[in-house]
Amino acid sequence: MKSLIRRNYEKQPIADYPDYKSSSLRAPKNKNIYIPSSISEISGPKFDKNIIGKLDNDLTLNYSHNNKIPIGQKIIVHGKIVDQYYKPIEGALIEIWQANASGKYLHPNDQSNVPIDPNFCGSGRYITSSDGSYEFRTIQPGAYPYPNRGIEWRPMHIHFSIFGKSFGQRLITQMYFQGDPLIKLCPMINSIPNEKAKKSLISSLDLSLSETDKLLAYKFNIILRGYNQTFFENRKEGL
Amino acid sequence: MKNYDNFFDETPFQTAGPFLHIGCSPNSIGINNIFKNDLGVLPFEKESHSNFISISGSVFDGNSEALNDVMIETWQCNEKGEYIDGQGFARFSPNAETKKFTLRTIKPGIVKDLDGKFQSPHILMSISSRGINMNLNTRIYFEDDDLSNDTTLSIINQKDKINTLIAKKIDKFNYIFDIYLQGNKETVFLDI
Ligand SMILES: [Fe+2]
Repeated sequence: MKSLIRRNYEKQPIADYPDYKSSSLRAPKNKNIYIPSSISEISGPKFDKNIIGKLDNDLTLNYSHNNKIPIGQKIIVHGKIVDQYYKPIEGALIEIWQANASGKYLHPNDQSNVPIDPNFCGSGRYITSSDGSYEFRTIQPGAYPYPNRGIEWRPMHIHFSIFGKSFGQRLITQMYFQGDPLIKLCPMINSIPNEKAKKSLISSLDLSLSETDKLLAYKFNIILRGYNQTFFENRKEGL
Repeated sequence: MKNYDNFFDETPFQTAGPFLHIGCSPNSIGINNIFKNDLGVLPFEKESHSNFISISGSVFDGNSEALNDVMIETWQCNEKGEYIDGQGFARFSPNAETKKFTLRTIKPGIVKDLDGKFQSPHILMSISSRGINMNLNTRIYFEDDDLSNDTTLSIINQKDKINTLIAKKIDKFNYIFDIYLQGNKETVFLDI
């Protein structure tokens, strides 16, 4: 029977991580209880490609007023959504959100004394094509301070929410930028104990694409869970 | 021959943070001009609302405080127990003032699994927010269903723990389902 590859919690963040204060009252004290995949977990919502508007993946234009463009360094963020066998996932819904160039979110709960950008809302979405690829055009997000153990700084980042083919593949994460000195100080990243896993959240500068479009580009591939392979009439199932 | 027992690691989770609505339900915070509709507002658009049930509740932290900055997502089958494309997904947050959420949906049916066994009617739920480093997964079952042969509940196998997954019936159309992140009523969360 089709089942998801069991999650490896050693490569995931620690739920109750004292250096990240907000986790102390919100991380459950008990371990998650493992249940084998049923049809409920290996099925999932499918999103129709026609919900995606032309500018939904272009944050430099999707909130522009009177043809004005947002302030900041325009960048491309692109990559592929694949499963644990590196098989591309078509039809994956990617939703992103981020701060503007000054490090301000267009959100009623962001009370910081930093300017909003009237032409930037920081919201984008895309559904992957058959090769699993995606691309966003956006503005380099600013780093921002937040209260933790005193005031600390978030490295520059973009939030990613992804739906693959099944509810069990659901992923919410953050992408960071190569070379940002704030990365190694960030308790949210450091809640991941495994170094290789941490590094997989850092996008890499990709000058090949930058040349054609005259934009700095960053590459960020995302791996969603795969399914256990079982022999079925001499061929592997689910490939 | 390729060795298919070797696979890559899943990309790690990070907290969704306090501003997740910008990406996941922008219309709910007044960013109205970019996406026509927020996703998951109505889990069953084509169904008649007259047979909808309401499941209401709050998400409590370790200080027994109800949270309003969480995002809840649910996934379920229809009343015949079938998972159908384009139906069954909902996404919502508690009300900013009352700190209560309400899921209006149809009551799911008994689910026939791939191995031919049956699961009691249930809804999958995922919770994300600031302070939650990795989405929490749980299930909603219903007090008025036969829960005696359900695989998941039999794995949990402790009455007080199982009770945290069961929505209490108020009347024919209304259920209560509260989620406790910590404390002696801590909800059972699942490694799915
Ligand atoms: Fe953020």
